[in-house]
Amino acid sequence: MEKILEVKDLHVSFDTFGGEVKAVRGVNLHLEKGETLAIVGESGSGKSVTSKAIMGLIPNPPGRIKEGEILFGGKDLAKMSEKELQSIRGSEISMIFQDPMTSLNPTMTVGKQIMEGLIKHQRLSKTEAKSRAIELLKLVGIPNPDTRVSQYPHQFSGGMRQRVVIAIALACNPRILIADEPTTALDVTIQAQILELLRDLQEKMGTSIIFITHDLGVVANIADRVAVMYAGKIVETGTVDEIFYNPQHPYTWGLLGSMPSLDTSEEELIAIPGSPPDLTDPPKGDAFAPRNPYAMKIDTELEPPLFKISDTHYAATWLLHEKAPKVEPPEAIKKRMKGMASSKPTMVTKDGERNG
Amino acid sequence: MVSVMANEKLLEIKNLKQHFKVGKSVVKAVDGLTFDIYKGETFGLVGESGCGKSTTGRTIIRLYDATDGEVIFDGENVHGKKNAKELKKFNRKMQMIFQDPYASLNPRMTVADIIAEGIDIHGLAKNKEERMARVHELLETVGLNKEHANRYPHEFSGGQRQRIGIARALAVDPEFIIADEPISALDVSIQAQVVNLMKKLQREKGLTYLFIAHDLSMVKYISDRIGVMYQGEIVELADSDELYADPLHPYTQSLLSAIPLPDPEYERSRTRKLYDSEDYAPKSGEKRVLREVKKGHWVACTEEEYEQFMATV
Repeated sequence: MEKILEVKDLHVSFDTFGGEVKAVRGVNLHLEKGETLAIVGESGSGKSVTSKAIMGLIPNPPGRIKEGEILFGGKDLAKMSEKELQSIRGSEISMIFQDPMTSLNPTMTVGKQIMEGLIKHQRLSKTEAKSRAIELLKLVGIPNPDTRVSQYPHQFSGGMRQRVVIAIALACNPRILIADEPTTALDVTIQAQILELLRDLQEKMGTSIIFITHDLGVVANIADRVAVMYAGKIVETGTVDEIFYNPQHPYTWGLLGSMPSLDTSEEELIAIPGSPPDLTDPPKGDAFAPRNPYAMKIDTELEPPLFKISDTHYAATWLLHEKAPKVEPPEAIKKRMKGMASSKPTMVTKDGERNG
Repeated sequence: MVSVMANEKLLEIKNLKQHFKVGKSVVKAVDGLTFDIYKGETFGLVGESGCGKSTTGRTIIRLYDATDGEVIFDGENVHGKKNAKELKKFNRKMQMIFQDPYASLNPRMTVADIIAEGIDIHGLAKNKEERMARVHELLETVGLNKEHANRYPHEFSGGQRQRIGIARALAVDPEFIIADEPISALDVSIQAQVVNLMKKLQREKGLTYLFIAHDLSMVKYISDRIGVMYQGEIVELADSDELYADPLHPYTQSLLSAIPLPDPEYERSRTRKLYDSEDYAPKSGEKRVLREVKKGHWVACTEEEYEQFMATV
């Protein structure tokens, strides 16, 4: 598989009156051609900041990329000038935002908004751009695109607006599409339509998608691979089956356990106690330790390295260390882990090399 | 789940209508709802945005005056009450938890004052010490601590604010709580905390809930019975397990088939059922009414469909 994007040891901080907020603290991830990578985590886990850093949308000040590389097509996006970024943003990499009500300009017709990118990046004439805009509206499933193209956002329903946003994002055939909670504001039936549309378009155009969400149902539906973020770090990453049927990190257990499935009934939901840590002063050791019922002494002192479970599956928890006591995951999680045989995890260093 | 043995009706809603005038036209947000809520149960009301579920909740608690119909709480008509004294008595019995924990707490009041507002209005505390003791007790009930009493809402996270909202609702010892999407603004892990808290309070205090939401898996988890709303009407009503196991109305079926579940294998094979209200409209022009096709399972149907359901069930 061809790696289209690679993020290496990314650190993003925001300087506030309260001090430096370390929103992203060393994220490593990659995106392969034509795949969908889901990033899951709670608000404040750094998932949106990571994606904004890739898009070069971190406002500076107060935000800054402290360290790390974002490699795309052999170039480091983190070091590009605003001008260079502008040529990539919207044409090579584009983004769908969460709220279709606020991400469209209410004073411009939807057609104009789609045409903007086409005229700027692909240097189409106005008439060409307009006919392409109509095509795009048709592609995303908006009926009567000829009349709709000259209407304003308020004349569209929420689901239709999100389709317009997707049409704008797809206008220049981007290689990467970043979707930041694109269905959170929508009803289930509309959500299902949008997810189907994204999968359909991906098949047609071969776009790679980074899908940010906190809804694990949506993840199971759309993702090929999953990265679970907590307190600015990726704590577990693997294929969708590995994360759902063989989760290793207690935080992933907590996330999976806190969602009722349609056939669970009596037992209490596994709530993760407490709330995420303050990232102006991240806790020493494992940031999840204070909320982790399985925390050991080492968790409060030393940050866990990534342990390798398979070629695609990694988790950062001391529980995988050979000297760690064997713990039983919660009942609901054990039910999930039915068939997956667990091979012996090995510790890896930061560079991904094996370390005994 | 709490089994409702006594089947004692706490709330009866009869042909409730709530129409809003918008310019020259009339929006029929709620159009002829009839259902009962039993003592000690959780009744879930689900539907998509704009189906009228929030309006129903707000009309029941009299934030809106109903256009037509009756809401009978504990044998008394809510909307018939006129004088302030009676209203006050009623307000103590019914409380509400709102969706947005950021907008529903006054930013200029301390947590203690927010929680104690009801206590003050109803004169439930004899003196300051008693009032504060009650506030502290409530904070502990919802999993916060005493030190939080003198702080302001902005110092709290979303989940904590929702706990404050719950403490405020509990302050006057209500019998019935309307929870309008109480968890949809919260993170998944925090949602579970709040739902577990609501369940615990129900067990301890014998509360009755009307739980309004659009997240169907969470609604199933918390509710004993569920009503599915579509365009201002209930199209299906049944015990929650029954509703998910055997949905009869095509709208319910389409809604259930649209939920993505955290199970990749299931997701790969899930097919979605589509629903088109115009296609489904009865050809004869007959209006569908809610009829009981199985014990406790009601579905909106025509006379003919009813016969068919009865033949197959």
